[in-house]
Formats: sequence, structure tokens, C-alpha cells
Amino acid sequence: MIVYIYDGTFSGLLTAVYEAFYQKEKPGQILKEWDYSQNLFSQPIYIYSDNDKADKVFNAIKERISFTALKNVYYAFLSETDNGDTLIYNYLKLGLKMGKYVDGNYSHETVSRLHEICKKVAREKHRMLGLIRFRLIRGDVYYASMEPDHNVIALIAPHFARRMSDQNWIIHDIKRKTAIVYNQTEWVMTELEVTQALPIDEEEYLYQKVWKTYFDKIAIRERKNPRLQKSFMPSRYWKHLIEI
Amino acid sequence: MNLERKVEILSESAKYDVSCSSSGSKRKNTKGGLGNGAYAGICHSWSEDGRCISLLKILYTNYCIYDCVYCVNRHSNDIPRAAFTPEELAELTINFYRRNYIEGLFLSSGIIKNPDYTMEQLIKAMRLLRENKGFNGYIHVKAIPGADSRLISLAGQYADRMSVNIELPTGKSLSMLAPQKNKSSIIGSMGLISTRIKEVREERKTFKKALPFVPAGQSTQLIVGATPDDDLHVLNLTQGLYGRFGLKRVYYSAYVPVNTQSSLLPAIASPPMVRENRLYQADWLLRFYGFKAEEILDEKHPNLDLNLDPKSDWALRNLHLFPVEVNKADYEMLLRVPGIGVISARKILAARRVKALTFDGLSRIGVVLKRARHFITCQGKYYGERGLNEELIRLSITNTKRTFSQASNQLTIFTEEFLGC
Repeated sequence: MIVYIYDGTFSGLLTAVYEAFYQKEKPGQILKEWDYSQNLFSQPIYIYSDNDKADKVFNAIKERISFTALKNVYYAFLSETDNGDTLIYNYLKLGLKMGKYVDGNYSHETVSRLHEICKKVAREKHRMLGLIRFRLIRGDVYYASMEPDHNVIALIAPHFARRMSDQNWIIHDIKRKTAIVYNQTEWVMTELEVTQALPIDEEEYLYQKVWKTYFDKIAIRERKNPRLQKSFMPSRYWKHLIEI
Repeated sequence: MNLERKVEILSESAKYDVSCSSSGSKRKNTKGGLGNGAYAGICHSWSEDGRCISLLKILYTNYCIYDCVYCVNRHSNDIPRAAFTPEELAELTINFYRRNYIEGLFLSSGIIKNPDYTMEQLIKAMRLLRENKGFNGYIHVKAIPGADSRLISLAGQYADRMSVNIELPTGKSLSMLAPQKNKSSIIGSMGLISTRIKEVREERKTFKKALPFVPAGQSTQLIVGATPDDDLHVLNLTQGLYGRFGLKRVYYSAYVPVNTQSSLLPAIASPPMVRENRLYQADWLLRFYGFKAEEILDEKHPNLDLNLDPKSDWALRNLHLFPVEVNKADYEMLLRVPGIGVISARKILAARRVKALTFDGLSRIGVVLKRARHFITCQGKYYGERGLNEELIRLSITNTKRTFSQASNQLTIFTEEFLGC
């Protein structure tokens, strides 16, 4: 089977899609370089990112399919799901045939699988808007850590830039070693690894304590239902929360 | 008294307010300010009872001159009391907000001195947040029933949502359990807010700079199960409130026995949560599914079936309208099929424009086939095993779910909306 391998960037993926449309050898799979391991049955073709080709695909999706389709492709790319990139390729093949109606084709397996993945990413993005917790560290910076299943950090940055526009903050994806840093004017994405304990501001402990008390007291004992709590707030997120 | 202790007392006293919605307001951040409104609302945590936490839901004070029989804060209860200062409350809100613990503030209060004085204190706290601290996050404030109309109007300029609790379904129940409150002052305050919302909406069409007034609308709450009032009464009241005052939401709160000493209250071991859930489901039918209260319940069936959701119950009583062909039925009829919700009905319309839907496609769309298959045909074929027999369908639907007795402690089948978000 022919496997296209690309550098893992969005523009790399779009380049791979471009090549898949124009080259004779169609891929059975598209993979990020770190997800590929050699075996007897696969015939790898390395795709080098090319911004011009990527732009062409980007515009083709927007113009010949729809803006929604473009968003779907980006979300599916960020999902980092197994075989997600191959699914994107199949979805685009169908999309270029059907045009803007592709997303109405709910009962088609490729479309419905892609929608499912996009929904997961959108849901986690929304969850992270509520579930990240900033801690005040010395030097007047608010720091939040997270480990989302999908790579949603860039999706949530604009929300916090609008909302917490008058404070300095860092949102850190520990799993992917990336961070968004905001300085009251603009945000940038950067690589980040924290190796030692952060210098917590004294005031921080007070509000953490009060928040825990609040969290504890607001529950109605007669209605206790930890299963329900977990279904809304899965325990894999808990270690980055203050209250639990 | 330190801050932590105050929070302990004043959140404990506020927890019986059901609403936790933070949606419906698109308030923008100002330059150099803090916060904004997310139109869809954002939940920030979930407490041990599974209810979402999106706002700092707290009382300004739990000192109260009223003596409502069901209320934990009533005057004659011997409980620890506390009160915030407007400054303390504003600081706390800001500090929680900056850490992304909350989406804003839900401010309620016991009645101190009189309704006017209480309303003034709440306004002071809100004004401090909005004007001095540049806070643009969400604020839900209680309108104190009986407060002067000018104060209520002023409060609405700072708030995103306002609510007056109707407390109990009938005036009779209210005068029995909350003798110092009366229906006319509650309804009066509601009417005032609703009129003002409409006026300001008109003003803002011509004068873009006119101040917003309660942009996320008004809501109310009532207690279910503290009095013998039936569901028919509750639903009729609800329908009236949506129609007359354009309320955004009516919340239902299963009665939790906090004051057990009164003979006026029923002796129950646990809150009637299944009944509460059925009311929310019926409420959804009124708001999003085009149902009328009189279709859901009547004098002969004045209470919702605890074993069956209200839509399935309605469908079983109206079997002559079924089955419907999913590839042909209009939107309104699709919405009436048990197992098809607003989202799946819309998807069905979109999908069948591309090509005829198959039965397998329906489950991918999100239709709950366990229920729906009894009431539909797909490309002319009927997939219900038991035919259109009311008793058999009822059995088939209810058997697949938990029975009532189990469900009363483990209600994990709800969506967050049903829990009052």
C-alpha cells in the first residue's frame, strides 16, 4: 500500500492532499512522520510541505466545497485521531465531487465519521474554555496547565485574549509541550517545558482555598450523584483542577 | 468573620436556587476591562450532585426578615448568619473570574429590613463591579419582589439576567408556606421587568447607545412537591409565563426537606427528582417542540407518567397519527416522533435533500431508534417489532430503561440542560 508521509503540519497535510490529487500513485493512507513505522507491505512516499500547493488546496476547499468543510478539515487535523488524515483525504475526495452538499450527507460513513471527530474536538474545545484554571504566579502572570486529548490550544486562545485582556497569562499544553503566551496586547504560540515548581503568588492560596470551600458547599447532599458528575467532567481532566 | 467563612455560609444558603445558566448575553469586553459574555454559556465545573457550576451563586446575606416554611434561611431557623460588603463581594467575583473558576455572578439575598433596602444593596455590589472594576462578565440578579419599580429598572441595567422566583404553583400554596410573600407582588415585578425589556429593545432599534436592559432575559423558579399541586397546574402556569411575560426559562426544583419540623410540609425521604425531570422534559416540549400544555396533560391525566417521558406518553395516546414516513414527514411532525429531537429532525431534513434516508442512516444522525422505530417507517418499511399496539410499545420502551425505583437515585440519562443549566 502506498503511504504518504508528511511533516505533521497543517500545510504539510494540505500538500499531501494536493499530491494525492495530481500524482498517479494514490495513497491508501496519509500519516504524520512520527506515526509511521516501516513495514514490508507499505511503500512510503515522503511529501515535502509546499505553501503554494497547500494554499491551492485551502482555497479549493473554501470555494469549491464550503467554509464549513474547511473548518471540519482543520478540526479533524487537530483531533490527532488514528487515521484521521486518511479520513480527511477521503472526505475531500467526496467533497470535491458533491460540493457544498457533502456535509448534508449525514448517512455516508466517511462524512459521519468525520463529523463525529469534529464534534469531539469542538466539545473538548468548549470544555477547556470552562475547565482550565489559572494560578497567579509571581511577576503578575496567570498560568494554566492542561492535557487535552485533542490539540485544541490554538482554538481556545482567542477566547481568553478577548476575555482576560487586562492580565498576562500563559496556557500550557503539557502533553504537547506547547503554550500560548499573552501579554495584554497579543498572543503567540511557543514551545514550552516547565521543569521546576512555579513561584506561586501568596494571594493565590487564599482564593484556591475559598474556591474549594465554595465547590464543596454548593452541592446538595440529598442529590449526590458522582456518576453524573463524572459523565460531564471526566476524571482525566481532574488533575489540572483546583477544586477536586 | 473571614472571607472563607462567609463564602461557606452564604453559598450553603444559595445552593437551592436551580438556575445556573450563563447564556444569552453577548456582552463585549471594554478596553482595559475584564470579561465578556459567551452567548452559549460556559460550564466551569460540576459539583458532587452533578449540577453544573457556571456562576458564583451566592447570597449577599442570609439574614432574612421573612419566615417561609420551606426555606433554609427563614427567620426562625437557628443557623449561622453572615453578610458581605459590596466591596468584598466584588473582589471575590473578580478573583474567581480571573482564575477562570466562573462565568460570572449569580446574586441573590435574604430580605434585610425591607425589599427596597435589599435591592439597593444588590445594586451597589453590581455597580461596583461594572463601573469601578470594569467587569463585563455575566451577572444574574434576583429582583426582590415588592421592591420599588425604579430600583428594579436600575438593577436591570447592570444585570444580564434577572429573575423573580414564583416559588409555588398557586397563590394558595404560597400564602400557606410563604405568608409574607404574595403572588401579586411577584407577578407585578415580573410584569415590570418584561415590559421594560420590550421597551428597551424598541429604544435600542433607534438609539444604538441606549443602555441594555437584562439582555439575557428573565427567568423564574418554582418548587415541586412541597404542596399537593399537580403537574397540569404547573405546566399551565409555565405556558402562561412564557406567553404573557416572554420568560426565557422556568426552572423546577424538586422539594428538598430542609426544615423538617413543620406539619405544613410533606414528610418525604428524598427529593422527587424523577418528577422534576419529567417536568423539564415537558417544558422542552412547550418551548422547542410546538406542544401545548393541554396536549401533554388534561383533567383525566393531571400528572406526568414517571415511567415514561412525556413525548412517548403523548405519542402512545395518539397512535392514530403514526407511523410517519421519515423521508416525507414535515419538520413539525418529525419533532413529535419519540426519539427524534430538534437536532436530529433538522439533520433528517438536510440529509434527505441529498438522498433518501436509510434506516441505518437514522442512527448515524442521532435518532434514538429504541423509541423511534415504533413510530416511523423508513422508505415504506416499518421496523418496530411489535406493531402499533399501545401496550406492547409501552412495554418495549420502558423495559429498555431503568425502572422508576432505581432511577430515583441514579439519574445519569439526562443532558445537562435537563438539570437546569
